[in-house]
Amino acid sequence: MKNVWVIILFTLREAVARKVFIFFMGITLLVLLIMALVFGLTDTQSIMALMNPTGEETILVDIIRNLEFLIVNPLANLGLLLAIFSSASFIPVMLEQGNIDLLLSKPVSRTQLLIGKYLGVLLFVFINIFVFVFGVWFIISVKFGYWDASFLLISVLITFAFALLYALIVLFNVTTKSSIPGMMAAYLIFLIVSPLMLFYKEQLHLHIESGVIKLLLDGLYYVVPQTAELMGRMLYQTASGNIIENFQPVITSILFIILTLSFSIFLFRKKDF
Amino acid sequence: MSAISTSSLSKTYVSSFGKKKVQALIDLNLNIERGTIFGLLGPNGAGKTTLIKILLQIIFPTLGNATILDTDISSYKIKSRIGYLPENHKYASYLTGGEVLRFFGRLSSINNKDLDKKIDELFELVGLLKWKKTKVKTYSKGMMQRLGLAQALINDPDLIFLDEPTDGVDPIGRKEIRDILLHLKSRSKTIFLNSHLLSEVEMITDRVGILNKGKLIREGTVQELTVNKEEYRIRLDDDKVNLERYSDKNISIHSSGENEFNVKVDDIRTLNMLIDKLRNDGVLIKEIMVQKNTLEEMFISLINKEENSEKAV
Ligand SMILES: Nc1ncnc2c1ncn2[C@@H]1O[C@H](COP(=O)(O)OP(=O)(O)O)[C@@H](O)[C@H]1O
Ligand SMILES: [Mg+2]
Repeated sequence: MKNVWVIILFTLREAVARKVFIFFMGITLLVLLIMALVFGLTDTQSIMALMNPTGEETILVDIIRNLEFLIVNPLANLGLLLAIFSSASFIPVMLEQGNIDLLLSKPVSRTQLLIGKYLGVLLFVFINIFVFVFGVWFIISVKFGYWDASFLLISVLITFAFALLYALIVLFNVTTKSSIPGMMAAYLIFLIVSPLMLFYKEQLHLHIESGVIKLLLDGLYYVVPQTAELMGRMLYQTASGNIIENFQPVITSILFIILTLSFSIFLFRKKDF
Repeated sequence: MSAISTSSLSKTYVSSFGKKKVQALIDLNLNIERGTIFGLLGPNGAGKTTLIKILLQIIFPTLGNATILDTDISSYKIKSRIGYLPENHKYASYLTGGEVLRFFGRLSSINNKDLDKKIDELFELVGLLKWKKTKVKTYSKGMMQRLGLAQALINDPDLIFLDEPTDGVDPIGRKEIRDILLHLKSRSKTIFLNSHLLSEVEMITDRVGILNKGKLIREGTVQELTVNKEEYRIRLDDDKVNLERYSDKNISIHSSGENEFNVKVDDIRTLNMLIDKLRNDGVLIKEIMVQKNTLEEMFISLINKEENSEKAV
């Protein structure tokens, strides 16, 4: 456990040193600054009066929650794209000749090394996302004088979506020792495959006649990482404080992470360096 | 108690397409006592690095097994008593030398309090104290080698693997590294050294092994390996006698200097017969010495012999 912790710490250190941390934070703070300025300059009072003439509390909460979501949603998606890009090379760098030899000569198991790296990158992404979500929440809460910390939970959800994709990246990292294939796979899933599968599940599903194809696609739907669900409806439901109706994407994602990481560790433990 | 023991260790590298196979180690049996300095010699590609990497489980053997410090190599915990200086080592370029040692110290479960003292001691030992707070990306090859050595010693290991430790280090640095190794030996550490620099190895090792094309072709003390049993040097008092005319099918004699002759015989009896003959003829012998080759001469002739016997097959 102590070994894993040391690796997590030094992974954070690496993120800071490789400027990805600063880059992320810079963008986050810039976005928050612009937001603060825009909010500072607009007369939200009169807009609110227009939208919510009775001044009813539930409607106010609804408006605030939706507003927060509208701001966070596109930026979270963009943030995830950046997170994939900036995290894809952590493990390939660790696996470089001269680097991995040294690490493996220390009293650290290969499992600890991989898990430490995985968690370290996750922590780095979480810190960034949390700062961003917290900033948006803070500005809006100050502006409207309504404070509800449950909104902050979406930072966990976004990090979870990242954890799902990063598990896939780790698998590619370990098998290819390079960063590009994993990055490509993650982008492919996040931008194309997962949205398509969601589209199938919600629309196409009803129009397909053949039982075999249907069975196949249904199976595929549960196997492919469901980032579209996590970053779509679940994100909205969490942000708007609604009840999450369907936990299936969370469960299949956890299974996906466990299986993919276990398989990566299995391969890593057998590899020559 | 053995520091390293291998039994039938073999490694075959298979290229990613499964077509090309390289037998990097073939049926290696080796036993190294604790508290000694062992030098593994061999030309490039002999399999020296492969052996160290197997012992550290950086790569896995195709066949056979091994123990280090009487523990099976598959236990990663034993590495808390091992130090390793790889052939090519790199460190995160954004860290300072001191931070590199801190990282590896923490990974070796040394607590923070002792670590600072330990780091200073090691930087002092390898002569890098001035550079402790400098980023490693500015280090020269020789400095990297010193840092690598310090890194290998961070956990006060009982067994130290050094792969070409003096590579890229200037002569003074080499001497310093040798002194450090001798100092470690005096503290009853075991040192396993890979090198192609034979003169260096000769100076400090207790035993050497010679590896060629994955096979251990010789193993013993430097003394044993460099003494050429059937070769003697005879020095005469008289400069008029030419010993070469005593050559026959059992004895070959060549002049090797003023009044000096190199004598090759099949066994010690033949040598004594030659001496009797010389004494009968009234030749005055001043000195008879066992001919000693340098490790390098022995090494070259041995490798050549291997090459030739291979061609003959
Ligand atoms: N990862 C690898 N894949 C394929 N062949 C390798 C690999 N590493 C080493 N070899 C081959 O194995 C042989 C031994 O290499 P090595 O142990 O590095 O020798 P040395 O350290 O004595 O120079 C060489 O022929 C080398 O080309
Ligand atoms: Mg080598």
